[in-house]
Amino acid sequence: MDMKAVSAIQRFTDARSASAIESYAQARPATEPTPEEPTVTEAVTKVAVDFAQTLAESEETAKASMIGDADPHALVQALAQTELAVEAAVTVRNKVVEAYQEILRMPV
Amino acid sequence: MNDFAKALSVTSSGLKAQATRLRHLAENISNADTPGYRRKLVPFETAFNAGRGVSMVETGSVQLDRSTLERVYDPSHPMADGDGYFDGSNVDLMIELADAREAQRSYEANLKVFEQTRKMSSSLMDILRK
Repeated sequence: MDMKAVSAIQRFTDARSASAIESYAQARPATEPTPEEPTVTEAVTKVAVDFAQTLAESEETAKASMIGDADPHALVQALAQTELAVEAAVTVRNKVVEAYQEILRMPV
Repeated sequence: MNDFAKALSVTSSGLKAQATRLRHLAENISNADTPGYRRKLVPFETAFNAGRGVSMVETGSVQLDRSTLERVYDPSHPMADGDGYFDGSNVDLMIELADAREAQRSYEANLKVFEQTRKMSSSLMDILRK
């Protein structure tokens, strides 16, 4: 009688610890760092490539519309997109230059 | 490609679709007196751009209105049959004008969204300028 209860308790604890291990194994990959996390350099490179691509695309559209075989909507859209991209790039550049000057002004 | 750029491309597809619609409406109105002309209907379809992940609108292939043509009585017309009738077009100017107005309103709505997207993006950049 006593032995039965002990073995039942034993089985229960075994089952619990087994399920705990299982859930731990399941949750573990979520806490590991993702290998494809882009570094700052990669992110900046991607933005720069995107920017250059936007400029090139809108240039193509503008050229095509000069020849007369492009939709005016496409031209307007491309130019607006370029405007926004250039605006963003200039703003970031100004911010970077500002930070650089701030460092130069630092007394040594 | 960020969300602003996506919004701009979707809006521009909407503008293009409305312009196409207006072109076909213009054809209908111009041909209102052409014998045997059937009015054109422009269906709008969703074009899912997989590369950009946005649903753009585009106009599908043009369909012709199959309703009966108007019978015009004019015995002196070269196409008139024995009773003096010939088939006119099935264009109703009132419908075409209402449709044209609707196209105009949709175009304006798309333009507003376009403008708003630009403004929002500019305001976002304004934060960095201060």
